[in-house]
Amino acid sequence: MPNHLYRLTADQVASGIKNRDFSAQEYISQILERIEKIDLKINAFVAVDKQGAAEKARSIDKRIHDGEHTGGLAGVALGIKDNICTKGLKTTCASKMLEGYVPPYDATVIKKLKENDAIIVGKLNLDEFAMGSTTEYSKYGPTRNPWNINYVAGGSSGGSAASVAALECAMSLGSDTGGSVRCPASFCSVVGLKPTYGCVSRSGLISYSNSLEQIGPVGKTVSDVVMLMNAIAGTDENDQTTRTTAIETIPNTMSLDRIPKYRLHQNNRNIRVGLVKELVEGADPAVSKCIYSAVDLFSRSDCKCEDTSMKSIEYALASYYTIAMAEASSNLARYDNIRYGFDSNPEEYEWNTYFAKVRNNFGEEVKRRIIIGSYVLSAGYYGKYYLKAQKAREMIKQEVKSLFEKYDVLIAPTMPILPFKFGEKIDDPLKMYQIDIDTVVANLAGIPAISIPVGFSDCLPVGLQIMANEMEEQTLFDVASSFESIVDIHKSPEI
Amino acid sequence: MISKDEIRHLGWLSRLELTDSELDRYATQIDEIISYFDKLDNVSLTGSDPARSIKKVSELRNDNIHVFEGDPLEFSKNRKDGFVKGPRMV
Repeated sequence: MPNHLYRLTADQVASGIKNRDFSAQEYISQILERIEKIDLKINAFVAVDKQGAAEKARSIDKRIHDGEHTGGLAGVALGIKDNICTKGLKTTCASKMLEGYVPPYDATVIKKLKENDAIIVGKLNLDEFAMGSTTEYSKYGPTRNPWNINYVAGGSSGGSAASVAALECAMSLGSDTGGSVRCPASFCSVVGLKPTYGCVSRSGLISYSNSLEQIGPVGKTVSDVVMLMNAIAGTDENDQTTRTTAIETIPNTMSLDRIPKYRLHQNNRNIRVGLVKELVEGADPAVSKCIYSAVDLFSRSDCKCEDTSMKSIEYALASYYTIAMAEASSNLARYDNIRYGFDSNPEEYEWNTYFAKVRNNFGEEVKRRIIIGSYVLSAGYYGKYYLKAQKAREMIKQEVKSLFEKYDVLIAPTMPILPFKFGEKIDDPLKMYQIDIDTVVANLAGIPAISIPVGFSDCLPVGLQIMANEMEEQTLFDVASSFESIVDIHKSPEI
Repeated sequence: MISKDEIRHLGWLSRLELTDSELDRYATQIDEIISYFDKLDNVSLTGSDPARSIKKVSELRNDNIHVFEGDPLEFSKNRKDGFVKGPRMV
């Protein structure tokens, strides 16, 4: 049996187990060993389900041995961001306010993964309630970047990206409200996708900002991300914002190994690429240099590349944070530490006093966002901030729509800067928000966007962001996988 | 300029009991953030209606009740006689 099974891509694991090159139990035991050895340094996992993973692996091996059908992700080790509900497995949002919360149900995406026989090895670290860009705002401490453990892994899905980069699991799920899958994917040199709004069910994703967030896959390769999207995409009666797509007209999509929804075509011929100049020009020169090299590669592979401008981007960040914080203040009103939460006896207190007292256990950033959200929604300021933010959002949507009449994809840096050291921005929240400038557009417009590794600068990863029109994930996958095959950037960090 | 008193009031509206040092820190930081949001002043209120992409009630699924299998409050800590204990009303 090879002793580096944990290094395999999800695709290789699935076919290796199916073809009986190795067993699910052999693979999972290596993954669990790897987590035990590496995660003390990385802190990607907040909980590891050793027993559940081992039992699932045993059952998959037995079914394969007995000649029974197994799902398309049979045996593949997956980590799940700890804001996605997993039945019987603690889901804390890295917050004291959800300490000890064990969901009585699975999120729709988790049900789908289980139907496909994926093995959930544990829950992954995040900024508290997914609010942050570095994973420094976690009650469990920050996740470290596998490429240099003195640097941030990005956020808020820092655990989702770092665990895949550090070879602790083959793939993971994160959530992306303003770049929370793409930012850490870029900082950790893995592939991360923010799907079209409505493409993946949010049922069981603990809400932060409903109109912006989507669950998204993280993998080592574009091919793995496609594989995971095939398992999780689709309508769901528990989420009324999910949308029917052409891909769902294919019958019997229960098992992805039978009928894949998305495929890899790797054909870039005549693809029209628009480089968003405001985002490239606004980036750190080390980052823009990598992006310009990518543009050269696109041009040499028969794509038609040209600079383009997105004027409404000026309002993107203010619009995004106004809407996200307004929705956060409303969504987080439900946490009262009555039905679940940390140990505290409510009997001695009056109703409002108790709530105010226990809710002070939200972390620094969460409280800041709740307060700002209450401010922008208050009667005197609603028109000045919230309404204007919604207008700006509509303006951005319209401009993006018109750009996709000219281009098949838009490209830009995923992050305007390289990964940075811990503590560098944590005392200046506005500075921290400003690093999201390249990613928030996709959330405001509801379009899909993928981050793929494009190179390194000073041994720190740089990610390229590719955006497509809504429901055009297939175009993203075609372009991204073609680019990936040209640059061949994937390598793993020494930890 | 956002004052410490305004932050305290917003904290109360949001049911957050903030300490003095939090009030000082948040007043400065939030003032800076809100000043950044002021760039939205330049956005025109005419033009497309943001509400047009919102689903109509007729497009939503029927509001049918599905009985939850299992006990949704299985892991609640403050349970007594089938109820969850809360703070007193007055």
